[in-house]
Amino acid sequence: MPEIRSAPLAVICAQAAPGALDRLIAPGYDAVVCRTAPDEILVFCPPEVAEDVLREVTNRLPALDEHGLVLDLTDGWHAWTLVGPDAREGFSAVSALALPGGDGFTQGHVAQVSAKILTAADDVTIIVPAYWSQHLRERLVADAAGAGS
Amino acid sequence: MAGSIDFEWRRVPFEDGDTVASAVHRTGVRTWNRSLKYHRRRGLYCLTGDCSNCLVNVDGEPGRRACVTEAIEGARVRRETGSPGPEWDVLAITDRMHWLMPVGFYYKAFIRPRWAWEFAERMIRRATGVGRLPTDGRFEPKRARTTHCDVLVVGGGVAGLAAAIAAAQVGERTLLADEGALGWSLSAPALQARIEELSAEARAQPNVEILQGHSCIGLYEGPSAALVGPHGLVEVEAGRVIVATGAVEAHGVFPGNDLPGVWLGRGAARMAVRHGVAPGNRAVIVGEGPEVQDHADALRDAGAEVSLVAGRVVSANGRRRVTGVTVETADGRRSFACDALVLALGHSPRDALLRMASGLPVGGAGDVVLPGCTPEEAEASGRRAGAGEPDAPSYPVSWPAMEPDGYVCICEDVGVHELEVSWDEGWTSSEILKRYTTATMGPCQGALCGRHLAFFAESKGAPPAATGLTTARPPVRAPKLEDLVGGVHEVIHKRTALHERHVSAGARMDRSGAWQRPGTYGDRREGYLAVRERVSLMDVSTLAKFLVAGRDAAALIDRVFPTRVRDLAPGRARYLLALDEAGYVMDDGLLSALPDGRYYLTSTSGGADRMEAWLRNWSDRLDLSVHVVNQTAQLGAINVAGPHARDLLVSLSGDDLSREAIGHPGHADVTVAGVACRAIAVGFVGETSFELHHPRSRSVELWDALLEAGHAWDIRPHGLDALDLLRLEKGHIYLAQDTMPDDHPGKLGLSWAVEASKPWFVGKASLERMAALPLQRRLLGLEFDRAPQRGAPLSVDGRIVGRVTSCGTSEVLGRHIGLGWVRCVDGVFPETLNAGALTARVAPTPFYDPEGVRLRA
Repeated sequence: MPEIRSAPLAVICAQAAPGALDRLIAPGYDAVVCRTAPDEILVFCPPEVAEDVLREVTNRLPALDEHGLVLDLTDGWHAWTLVGPDAREGFSAVSALALPGGDGFTQGHVAQVSAKILTAADDVTIIVPAYWSQHLRERLVADAAGAGS
Repeated sequence: MAGSIDFEWRRVPFEDGDTVASAVHRTGVRTWNRSLKYHRRRGLYCLTGDCSNCLVNVDGEPGRRACVTEAIEGARVRRETGSPGPEWDVLAITDRMHWLMPVGFYYKAFIRPRWAWEFAERMIRRATGVGRLPTDGRFEPKRARTTHCDVLVVGGGVAGLAAAIAAAQVGERTLLADEGALGWSLSAPALQARIEELSAEARAQPNVEILQGHSCIGLYEGPSAALVGPHGLVEVEAGRVIVATGAVEAHGVFPGNDLPGVWLGRGAARMAVRHGVAPGNRAVIVGEGPEVQDHADALRDAGAEVSLVAGRVVSANGRRRVTGVTVETADGRRSFACDALVLALGHSPRDALLRMASGLPVGGAGDVVLPGCTPEEAEASGRRAGAGEPDAPSYPVSWPAMEPDGYVCICEDVGVHELEVSWDEGWTSSEILKRYTTATMGPCQGALCGRHLAFFAESKGAPPAATGLTTARPPVRAPKLEDLVGGVHEVIHKRTALHERHVSAGARMDRSGAWQRPGTYGDRREGYLAVRERVSLMDVSTLAKFLVAGRDAAALIDRVFPTRVRDLAPGRARYLLALDEAGYVMDDGLLSALPDGRYYLTSTSGGADRMEAWLRNWSDRLDLSVHVVNQTAQLGAINVAGPHARDLLVSLSGDDLSREAIGHPGHADVTVAGVACRAIAVGFVGETSFELHHPRSRSVELWDALLEAGHAWDIRPHGLDALDLLRLEKGHIYLAQDTMPDDHPGKLGLSWAVEASKPWFVGKASLERMAALPLQRRLLGLEFDRAPQRGAPLSVDGRIVGRVTSCGTSEVLGRHIGLGWVRCVDGVFPETLNAGALTARVAPTPFYDPEGVRLRA
């Protein structure tokens, strides 16, 4: 039975020309850089390094695209993590998405709302717009928490 | 004895491997049900879970097929039909009154007097049906999960197993699902042995997963499949699907074909081999083909006296059950005494899944495409399908002709006579026959009768388009409602960060689009008066909010919206309409110019996704370099409104909040109660108002601080109820409530928001064309002599010319006001109308503070 945890996560958004984002060097700080659209990346990182990540991306992007945009969107997202060996089975109760094996990223509908998903060996982190946070938690508790039981 | 079940308060022992049907049949029970319409006796027939003859109530759950329900210690089994029961049914009288219930009678009877139908329907429902739903509120929510594979094989017979093995051997992730245990429906020992070998081989493959007890109820785009299993619904997303669901034996149509004691061959053999019970003491097997001898051997081994007869069944004889059969043989018509008539008349592919998957990567294997094939042929077919080369479906090589009488659809009591009458009435295709007679619409979903219906239409000379099998649709097996709702939660609410604050303040939370918003905090008037006389708050975090930036941000705004943008300086804001290409109003909002050529756009709460898509789409179409960031979730917004709104903010901020610093409409970045905000001076409620847009994570802190500081002015929050009247007093529209899909700005009195001199904007060409046409309909302000009702028709001389879209009684104005659609009458818009018994007069808007003095205060 996977455990459901609220996952503190900062979200930095960079929008720029696709070629510029192709060349953008990841900021480090345990940040995960995810390409969510040809002209957009989202950088997920621990909240304590959000300022550093924001600064680095903000510093690097103008050299690649002078019209690029970098924003801290942390307030707009909320993350819940399914933890445990049954995490993926629990996820399958709320989404038809195929998860990447091991560490990875995908996006699509979870519990009928749009979401970004980060995967690791034993956990699945689901990141949704903040106004869906409660909805997702309720669905995870109702449907995913019983997986493997 | 392995245990016992409670069959109608009688202890019935069962053996290992018994089903409810086999255990009860062993005790001599032969009548399991009464038919839907004519209350004819029905006995065990197919034993493959296809027909509806053995539906029983097990432990309070109706509609369980006894033939595929495992006997479990202590299970309470009840037959469900008949008055008072199936053995003796007073409603069997209906079988002698077919004239009273001709085919399609429910289209013809009880039409007049109209009130009769209400009683008749109740009576009909009570007399028919196949069980009663429990009403004790029991509901076990089921789960739903999704799984992915390269190949889904539906059916775990030799063909399915061979297909799964072949697919796995070429490295494909394979999932095999069967509605029972592997080989559950087979009777021949050699076949069972082969199943065991194949299942061992399949299980040895690391990339094969086997789901037993999972019925595939439908195939969909993808292809994806819905499986109903013991723990709920499994949605399978597969690269391709192989259907290996086998065949059901052909249902013979002849007089007496529905009598208890008439069996399909494989079912009878299964009863004998797997459960050691013969279907009867004296069995006559009619049919040809390699399986017939196997069936005969199986029945003899179970102790029955068996006669094999080749020929055409003319009739099954008997009243309560079969006592004999008449067969047209090569030697002429002969009659045989028997208590079990076993039919082996051919095979009907169980191909509903295959037929509903047209155009998808779905193939078949075994009996479902080669009906009547040998086990060896089925296995070879499965291997071909597994390797990606499925056999093309072929029609049954032989099919039993229908006698002039007998039941075609035993689920719905539709006989040959009913088909004939329907045909004569003009229902001359298999699809229309289905709808009129309800044949194929019962629990077996046409598995037994579908082909008879098609052949009937063909025999009548109908054109090919009218003779096919009826359209196959999910579900092909009957799922329970609790299975279908597994994992589905259709009501989804967006919540603002202040949701809990509203609830704890006693707000009535309303659904506003996808959002939950406070309707009122108990007294609409309090919130309303707070806005008009003191100060009030409203959570407007639901507003759609966008940052539009990038090299071509101004160009995008200028070309997408009809608003004048060129003179919008940073710090200023402007009302904005969004038009579609037809020039119709699709949204509205407020555009704020930011430094560095950026724009902050707010639009209606329900339209965020559409607005985002609209902006991105036009950015792409116009080949502009623009970043559109949807900040709806990121930013909260609180509207501070009322004569003391500015005073309240000043008390919490060290920034300049004067009229000079924030003009109307305009904005400034300020700090309020320690929270960084973009304060936007707006005028929707007609008083001094500032929307404080701020990081969502600070919403609660800001809300609390405003309420606390607002005590000095007796602050009250207001909800949607108060807002509805406040904005109406200002003559502001609610999109969708006050508008229609084909409204251009002129109809709404919003032409002032269109900068017609711009060289191009979305919808401009359409507006220019429409401008040349006289207005036929307008949204107008109205005053009533009494309180009207929203939606009330507006009429002139009895002719309806419009309707009231918004209305209310304004306390500060002391008038009943509203907005409404009014059509042009004889070239002019009427000034006085009737709204039912009320009188309505067209009045200019805004009703309240028309000069805008208060909101600029």
